[in-house]
Amino acid sequence: MTRPFILSASIAEVAFAVPESAAPILYAAEAAGLDLLVMGRSGARPFDAQVLLAWAAPLTSRLGLVATVPASNAHPFHVARALSAIDFLSAGRTGWSVVSEGAPQGMGEDMVGAARALWDGWGSDTLILDKASGRYLDASKVSASNYEGAFFKVAGPVNAMRPLLGHPLLVVDGDDPLAVADADIALFADGQPVPPASKRLLKVAPDADPAEPMARFEAGEIDGLHFTLTDALSQLPVIGARFGAPVSARPSESGDLRARLGLPIPSTASNQPGGAVIPENA
Amino acid sequence: MMDKQIHLWAFLQGIGFFPSGWMHERANPAGVFSMDYYARVAKLAEQGMFDAIVFGDQLQSRGAGGRTPERMAMPTLDPVSLLTAMAAVTKHVGLVATVSTTYNTPEMLAERFGTMERISGGRAGWNIVTTAHPDTAPNFGEDDLPPKDERYRHAKEVVAKACELWAAMDREGPLLPQGRPVLVQAGQSPDGRDFAARTAEAIFCPAANIEAGVDFRSDLRTRIAAVGRDPDGVRIMPGLSCVLGGTEEEARANHLAILDLADDALAIEYLSESLGCDLTAFDPAGAIPVDTILDRTILPKADIARAITPAQEKGTPLGDFAANFMRHPRGHNVFLGTPEQMADMMIAWRDAGACDGFTLQPSYMPGGLEDFVEQVVPLLQQRGRLRTEYPGSTLRETLGLPAREAVAA
Repeated sequence: MTRPFILSASIAEVAFAVPESAAPILYAAEAAGLDLLVMGRSGARPFDAQVLLAWAAPLTSRLGLVATVPASNAHPFHVARALSAIDFLSAGRTGWSVVSEGAPQGMGEDMVGAARALWDGWGSDTLILDKASGRYLDASKVSASNYEGAFFKVAGPVNAMRPLLGHPLLVVDGDDPLAVADADIALFADGQPVPPASKRLLKVAPDADPAEPMARFEAGEIDGLHFTLTDALSQLPVIGARFGAPVSARPSESGDLRARLGLPIPSTASNQPGGAVIPENA
Repeated sequence: MMDKQIHLWAFLQGIGFFPSGWMHERANPAGVFSMDYYARVAKLAEQGMFDAIVFGDQLQSRGAGGRTPERMAMPTLDPVSLLTAMAAVTKHVGLVATVSTTYNTPEMLAERFGTMERISGGRAGWNIVTTAHPDTAPNFGEDDLPPKDERYRHAKEVVAKACELWAAMDREGPLLPQGRPVLVQAGQSPDGRDFAARTAEAIFCPAANIEAGVDFRSDLRTRIAAVGRDPDGVRIMPGLSCVLGGTEEEARANHLAILDLADDALAIEYLSESLGCDLTAFDPAGAIPVDTILDRTILPKADIARAITPAQEKGTPLGDFAANFMRHPRGHNVFLGTPEQMADMMIAWRDAGACDGFTLQPSYMPGGLEDFVEQVVPLLQQRGRLRTEYPGSTLRETLGLPAREAVAA
């Protein structure tokens, strides 16, 4: 499989949280070929990005939907449930980015550990849904997590299915790095240490010259680009025109977000082989 | 203006009202994990002129720790996420999400509902619950639930603080179209009724028959007036499940067919889950093991005693009690009959003051909702008792409620 060139952007204005603004931006993001749209960032509240993700799910079909989650104003039990729901509603397109936003040292990492443990409390093949035998699920594949960290103590199991992606993509940002060894995506600016992750996206301006970053991609130094949107409706078409070509040249666009971007669940992060399987013909 | 308009809510939890509903040939159990299914049922509710779609919630996994059997252990989708996704594919129908005051901070609540309220264009409702299941506490790092009176005292503070935060959000960002979500409550205990009287703009409750409905609504209206609020500013919406047929006999046969999807053991499992005590090892032909249940239940003993004592005094065997419990789940009205009979019944309840409308709980999904919207809704509209178009864009306008008032202290 050829290595995908990943296009990502983030948006944080409060004005995004009304339907008249949000819908055209979502459509423009898909039209530009974005793989990921990160909603919210540190200091840009108040809006709950997880709620916006749910609204965006039925209005988009290929865009990866990433919520910033403040470690200090969220609880892993709620976050694990909301992201599981959004992953089903978006057919496997969710991600999350935990921001510290004044939280004590280590709280973000604890949030990640607790939510992952809850998702892993449900086996990939738990559901049966067999009308003839009356078996809805296999309870032996559901287990308590009994997670105990420095900030969160969560027994589980969570009353939500394991997400289709197994775990939503974990996005970490060099501006507010999380000490997690096996994140999926790292965002970083030139000159910044790159947080450990499977894929590295360089932050550039929406009107950057494509030549240099494309050369760095070809050299294997980065896996794609990340843009911070300040005027999304005018910037997204520019991004699409300058950087969309390698995205639209990809051989296959099918499959969930992990399959599409070549991101298996990090084996250290999960005790399950993959995401939830919904039995067919049910 | 229509005389005694009937309000309709759709309670679309999971796979339907009956525990065997998911096995029905017109049920789609895999659908509850897909957006296509939710888009379809949300549009159906809007076609049926429902005020709102409601989802309940719990913050513990049913079936956790082997306390309840696996057929009760159905995973759910987070209601705020689900309803907000439904907002994107509808224009008018209101969206009422159940969220606990015991395990959310006012800041979390205000931000979640504030965002839902803005992005839905003013269609958010909050069904305020205090969380009663003891398995919830360990999910939030605690050993036990706070006592009930403390949970309600805390709920009052949380609602008041959330209202302050919404007022602040309204000043700082895009306007919250309704100022705040419509406040909904579903408690039946004296604590719950008192809280509802002070806080709620709409109330969801069980009422097995018209007399129970009149009693509940009269009691609540008295309590509402006693705290200085206008009883006409509160909608009371008892649950209503139904199985329809072309004739009454056909409806009864359709009902039996749904119940027959369940084996005898499922009824006992359902009862076990509802009573918070595993009864699967007991002889269904034997007496209801009251002492054991009260000794082992993890739910409030007084509530459980109230549920089982009358049947025990009559000498009802455990299996029969469980089967009957499944026919009338959680004390709600289960209507069997023709669409005409159902419309008549709904109008009679409304005219008798038993309710302001109904919270429809389809027996299986999505077939049960389809039947109601196709067969009963047009009859109510022909009789001038159900709107044919929405009056405005916000849930508050749809409910015909006055502009928001302050929550009674």
